[in-house]
Amino acid sequence: MTTMTAFDTARFGTIQFGPEDIVTFEEGLIGLSDLKAFVLIQHKEDSPFRWLQSLDEGNIAFLVVDPAAYTSNYNPEMPESATTALNLSEETPILVYTVCTIPNGNPRGMTLNLAGPVVINAESRRARQVVLEDESCPVRFAVFDDQKSQVA
Amino acid sequence: MLVLTRKVNQSIVIGEGIEVVVLEVRGEQVRLGIKAPRDVAVHRKEIFEQIQSENEAASGTKPEDVPE
Repeated sequence: MTTMTAFDTARFGTIQFGPEDIVTFEEGLIGLSDLKAFVLIQHKEDSPFRWLQSLDEGNIAFLVVDPAAYTSNYNPEMPESATTALNLSEETPILVYTVCTIPNGNPRGMTLNLAGPVVINAESRRARQVVLEDESCPVRFAVFDDQKSQVA
Repeated sequence: MLVLTRKVNQSIVIGEGIEVVVLEVRGEQVRLGIKAPRDVAVHRKEIFEQIQSENEAASGTKPEDVPE
């Protein structure tokens, strides 16, 4: 039997999770090195969005999305530092999510951080926010066409 | 901040596993070589700061604003 732990969060009330649910970022997120333990919470049924809820700070959660939901050919090559740190081989199942930023009250202004994807080793549940130095992977990729034309 | 003076082909060592070598100095540009353990990510500070700043912005995203 798995022991469930209760944890109070700002967005989702009290959540229950087991040890197998924890995603561990040994180095934290970029610029947020204290945030090492997270759980993934499904946004809504059938939604491509997840919340990466911190287990270190109950009021911190990041919206992430399967990049395939909004991009057609985003398949970045993982830097060797990431494959080594996460012990990834060709066969290792991985989850790749991009962090979303939505300005308050403006869903059409959503941008995806394609330069800093979250990569999770789905077997060990160890994860890292990877830095891609690739000009085709912007930090603020505007998802919706009307926003793209404004940016351009 | 520790300040050291180095010449081309000289290096500094950080901890046990990281070495930074001055490869070339040309005008205002300096080329550095970095030897680090395979799991250590090395990046230009600008991209690191951009992602850090975007993480801060992303942490303000509210559930009610998520597209269907």
